[in-house]
Amino acid sequence: MPSRFTYQPVREYHVVVLGAGGVGKSCLTAQFVHNEWIESYDPTIEDSYRTQVTVDGRQVVLEILDTAGTDQFVAMRDLFLKSGQGFLLVFSIASRSSFDELATLREEILRIKDDDTVPIVMVGNKADLEDQRAVDRARAFGVSRSWNAPYYESSARTRTNVDEVFIDLCRQLCRREDKLEEQARDELGQKMSDEAAKKRRRRRRRKEKCVIL
Amino acid sequence: MAMLNSQPARSSLQVAPLAIQKTRSNGSSVADSSDPYSQSQITPPATPNGSQEDLYTQAQEHVQMEIEMANEPPVFHNFLRAFYPFQPENIVNDSTVTLPLNEGDVVLVHSIHTNGWADGTLLVNGARGWLPTNYCEAYDPDEMRSLLKALLNFWDMMRATCGNDSEMFGNQEFMKGIIAGVRYLLRTHCLTRESPLVQQYDGLRRNRKSLLSELSCLVKTARRLHDAQRMGNVEEVNEVVDEMILRAFKIVTKGVRFLDVLEEERRPLVPTIAAITAAEDNQVPPTPPAESSNFAAGYGPAADAGSRAEDDGETAERAQYAASDVARSLTPAENRLSSVCTQNTNARRLSQVGPLQIHRPSSTLSHRLSIAGPSPLAHSQNLVSEKLNACHDIFLSHLGSFIGRLHLQSQSRPSLARAVKQSATSGGQLLVVVDVVCTHNAAVIDVLEQSRAAMYDRIQELVHTARDILANATLDMEEDVIVPQDNGRLLGAATGCVKATGECVAKTKWVIERIGDFEFEFDNGSLGVNFDLSALTLVREEKDSKYCPSESASIAGSTVSETPTASTAISVTSSAPVPSVVLSIDKPLPDVPQVTSPITEQPVSHPLPSDSRPQSLPMRDRASSVVQTASYNRADLPPLPRISTASLPMDTYSPLEPSSTNGSDFRSFRSESMTASSSGSGSTYLSRHSESSILSQTSTRATTPDSTQAPRNQPSFSDLSTTETTSQAEEVDDVESRLIEKTFAHELVFNKEGQVTGGSLPALVERLTTHESTPDAMFVSTFYLTFRLFCTPTALTQALVERFDYVGESSTIAAPVRLRTYNVFKGWLESHWREETDREALDLIKEFAQVKLAAILPSAAKRLLDLAEKVSVVDGALVPRFVSSMGKSGATGTHYIPAETPVPAPAMTRSQTNALTAWKAGGSCPSILDFDPLEIARQLTIKQMSLFCSILPEELLGSKWTKLAGVGAPNVKAMSAFTTGLSNLVADTILQYDEVKKRALVIKHWIKIASQCSSLHNYDALMAITCALTDTSIKRLKMTWDTVSVRRKEMLKSLQSTVDFNQNYKALRARLHDRVPPCLPFLGMFLTDLTFVDVGNPATKTSDTGLVVINFDKHTRTAKSIGELQRFQIPYRLTEVADLQEWLSSQIDRVREKDKAGANTQASHYRKSLLLEPREVQQLRTPVEPPTPAVTGSGMFAWMRSNSGTTTATQSLSAPL
Repeated sequence: MPSRFTYQPVREYHVVVLGAGGVGKSCLTAQFVHNEWIESYDPTIEDSYRTQVTVDGRQVVLEILDTAGTDQFVAMRDLFLKSGQGFLLVFSIASRSSFDELATLREEILRIKDDDTVPIVMVGNKADLEDQRAVDRARAFGVSRSWNAPYYESSARTRTNVDEVFIDLCRQLCRREDKLEEQARDELGQKMSDEAAKKRRRRRRRKEKCVIL
Repeated sequence: MAMLNSQPARSSLQVAPLAIQKTRSNGSSVADSSDPYSQSQITPPATPNGSQEDLYTQAQEHVQMEIEMANEPPVFHNFLRAFYPFQPENIVNDSTVTLPLNEGDVVLVHSIHTNGWADGTLLVNGARGWLPTNYCEAYDPDEMRSLLKALLNFWDMMRATCGNDSEMFGNQEFMKGIIAGVRYLLRTHCLTRESPLVQQYDGLRRNRKSLLSELSCLVKTARRLHDAQRMGNVEEVNEVVDEMILRAFKIVTKGVRFLDVLEEERRPLVPTIAAITAAEDNQVPPTPPAESSNFAAGYGPAADAGSRAEDDGETAERAQYAASDVARSLTPAENRLSSVCTQNTNARRLSQVGPLQIHRPSSTLSHRLSIAGPSPLAHSQNLVSEKLNACHDIFLSHLGSFIGRLHLQSQSRPSLARAVKQSATSGGQLLVVVDVVCTHNAAVIDVLEQSRAAMYDRIQELVHTARDILANATLDMEEDVIVPQDNGRLLGAATGCVKATGECVAKTKWVIERIGDFEFEFDNGSLGVNFDLSALTLVREEKDSKYCPSESASIAGSTVSETPTASTAISVTSSAPVPSVVLSIDKPLPDVPQVTSPITEQPVSHPLPSDSRPQSLPMRDRASSVVQTASYNRADLPPLPRISTASLPMDTYSPLEPSSTNGSDFRSFRSESMTASSSGSGSTYLSRHSESSILSQTSTRATTPDSTQAPRNQPSFSDLSTTETTSQAEEVDDVESRLIEKTFAHELVFNKEGQVTGGSLPALVERLTTHESTPDAMFVSTFYLTFRLFCTPTALTQALVERFDYVGESSTIAAPVRLRTYNVFKGWLESHWREETDREALDLIKEFAQVKLAAILPSAAKRLLDLAEKVSVVDGALVPRFVSSMGKSGATGTHYIPAETPVPAPAMTRSQTNALTAWKAGGSCPSILDFDPLEIARQLTIKQMSLFCSILPEELLGSKWTKLAGVGAPNVKAMSAFTTGLSNLVADTILQYDEVKKRALVIKHWIKIASQCSSLHNYDALMAITCALTDTSIKRLKMTWDTVSVRRKEMLKSLQSTVDFNQNYKALRARLHDRVPPCLPFLGMFLTDLTFVDVGNPATKTSDTGLVVINFDKHTRTAKSIGELQRFQIPYRLTEVADLQEWLSSQIDRVREKDKAGANTQASHYRKSLLLEPREVQQLRTPVEPPTPAVTGSGMFAWMRSNSGTTTATQSLSAPL
């Protein structure tokens, strides 16, 4: 519920969905942006990948960038990554290689964003294929912890944890911006040095989150 | 009956999985799922669990949707059936028409006013006017559903397109629905004249016959319409359209009657305890059927029979009814809407609806009585949907002019204040409308609240921004002008308003569509959530109260009561005092007659001197005895109609006493209501096209009867019945033969534009081979292109053969359809054959040609066999084709550029040519700088276009290029590889020079090449080059970019903006939209579209009749996308310079070879970039370190990051946990 006296502008975030081909990341996106009032989904219109969500009582517009179908255009990835503020790293729990690929993707994100606190959510998709699981959950958790990114297991097919991953990412982005605003205020007020602020920010660890179906 | 039985059963069945799912998702989610919005708002609720296959999931989803509709938002019923007779005191007063109802009458509902009165059309005579909904129940039996749906479409189509869409009338699509509906009704037992049931029961036979004769009349009228259309006689067309509507109504009326009789006939088949009491009913003399044209005469008895059984529902009397049925089974009282049996039906319905209503009150009619506003009626702008549109328009126009003014450099404070005020006021009005919808039905609040709050916030934000700016300006005092930078903030706020409002209005419309349109009296102009600057505090308070949980159900109530200017909304839940003035204007619903009333009325209620009277008398006597038994049990009955009226503040007005006039003068009412039938609806109807397309038929059908419009010389109902009897005998046979045609037409799903969006395979095949018109080219090409996605070639062959077989039953159309079937096979073999997948069907096709086709069309069979032989030998299509004709419409590329246009000469100098020759001979390799940007761009374009043109449509189906490393899509793969190669070449050529100046020169050169590509409309190359130039490894070369002139950088920026992928390639789409080839679009955009069409649309959908059918819409979209791509598969007219081509390819290959060597190209470029221009010292991270050799795939960048987090990450990846 928005607090009534402080008025807040709508925030807009660009979220990039990444992952190897065939992990169902576009299903995830389609499920998330698919508006239930539309009978059939037309991806060619301007607002196809824009959606509004409420996170902790706050309206946020998410523009989702999904490279679906253009994985072969490797050279474009840089451009996509650059425009993103938050990232969903999607792999399929039924494919070990898709899991291993995340590390490369993450490196690339960190390089391009030049920031190691960039909001990331790790998603093990196709959780409905438990019998074909190739990525140990504990292993995924281990990586998630080391990357300091929450881990979800989702299933676009059964629509499990689809919203949750986007909402979590959104929440991270919101907190991050709140922090930055707060810092900006602090800096004004206490004349804190830029250096110190940065140090403090880096020391801060995000709350760990692990999610199992 | 059957439907009503199944409905509650189905929902109760499904409740369990739903609940399970809820706990599941709650338990597993870390995200705050208690947040009401995150779950319920943005996304549909989780589908029932499990890893079922697509089809099952689809079905589940559908069922779940149904439950939601049943449980949550009430459904707008399109058809009601009266279960009491109703006789208004004044049929026509100065402004309104109130229709008399007879028990059993079926009504097409256009809208339901909040006070419980419905605007409807009586099917029995086409009269339109106000009807009390508490006298009616929803009418939607299974058998009739298809026909009722068809009537709805028919009505919409006829009313919407009145005389201006010859195309639609041309293909007779609208007739098919009705015929299919009748077929569906008859299909179980009575399809042919010879069926035992029809043979056995005279009444059934007669009813069936009269139904069919009616249908044949409609078919004839439709033909007349077709002729009139051709003659261009508008006057006549309108007349015929009116006549057709009346006839369609009549068909449905007869269908209803038929169903009643049928149910009566079926009953004896069910063993009942009734046999015991059967004897006493034996004395009832057989009732001879009345003439079909004598329909009106049946009213008298029908009416009292109707009132007889009103509130029954007891098993005891049901038994007695059933008993009488047994006795009378040989002599059905057909032609009476309300034969005894019907009451029996009603009785059961009542007894079911009763308890149902308690459980889910929203699903019955009573929900519509939630608020009452004063209503002078017949003011169409009182409809909420229209008010919503009007307010939205006003609001947008205010905002629009406000935004427009903001673009001026400066403006005065008063004018700003005024504009904001205007916008806020109109926004407030819009909010009130939304609130009214919320209040109207508490169940929808959840749906609307979020977007409503969003919109509210946006408007408030605008007001606050304006206030802040105004306040700041007062500090400066001198300035009476808003500074430009504030404009930006205002602009943002205003556009925010527009967006949020759009969303909110869209949702509200959706809600209205679900709950049905209703009327609401708005106090013109003076109401509105007040956003006025001076009243800011008030607005805040109002907002507070709104969010109080206790009042959440009554947004409008609280809003209105706290906003002094608005005073009309009455919220039931907040128990606001009802202003008596308001209600005195309002028209109260009539009281539902008491059970005892029919008995007392009986002497009065059959004054009709009709020929059927003597026969009906004894029946009536028996009926009255039934009523007596009914009244014994009355105490136990659910007081159904009372529930609804009780929610109204009843003591403020005195209820009407319908019994006093009841049944006294049916005949005169009939004739009067006839003249009052509203022909005016045709004109009001057109308004729906101006409304946003989100509005569905249900809500837009809501028009208000306009009795002031004088009735035109409309064909009256009695005229119709006289004309029809004359020639019906011969027509019946015709229709009958048409009806017996086996058809799957009812398994097709259409959208509002009349395109097929779904259907079962037989239905789609039927459509493909239709005899009535040339098949739609779009449909045919989509089918050929995509059929392998929804069926196997064998299945298609079988369906076609089956079509060939079953059409033989109907002699008239067999020949054309069989020819078409042959043509489908021929087209498939000639142009759409894919040996690798279709081979399996070849033997079947040959067999078909040899046996079945040869027997009827020997020459065609021979041709087909020839083709079948060739197809397995010849590689590729026998007849050159454009697979989807929609893109190219048969034209070849040369049509776009006249052949005589001179091909431009290559921009090559002698020295350049020599350099290439030398290179080929083994000499030194020329650099990119040696060539003219124009020629490089041309040669790139030629190369890319040849790759692009070789892409086959089948490569683009089912996301094939993303699967199995693109094996199934070699040309897509080649094309994307080339584009990527080009990007890498750009980066490579820049990074190969150590000198800053040289690098800048290369950058400049590539910008020029990109610019040339842009003028050639080669967006694929443009994308590749701009991507490379903005890549991190190039972009970060600060020293180099400083050397590039500002002009070039600006040029790059504008080039970049044309291929910007933001907002879903908005800029590029706009460019491609009406671009005439030659043009090379960015392939990736199509690939993304196709991927999302594929994953975003389910494979199946559920039709109105509950059948799971192929989602053809998905395939149409796919075909459309592919067609759009094919539109550009037309080569450029440019001269190829072979040597330059070769050099370019070798350069791209050279870069690709490096890639193959193991290192990621992007990474190696970045490394090189770092070496060329190391990171500046003040940058925090990434001290330049010598690259560690032999980096593994996962640890690619570990070397450049000393950060500990990364190292652990890579470790944890490689080390087993």
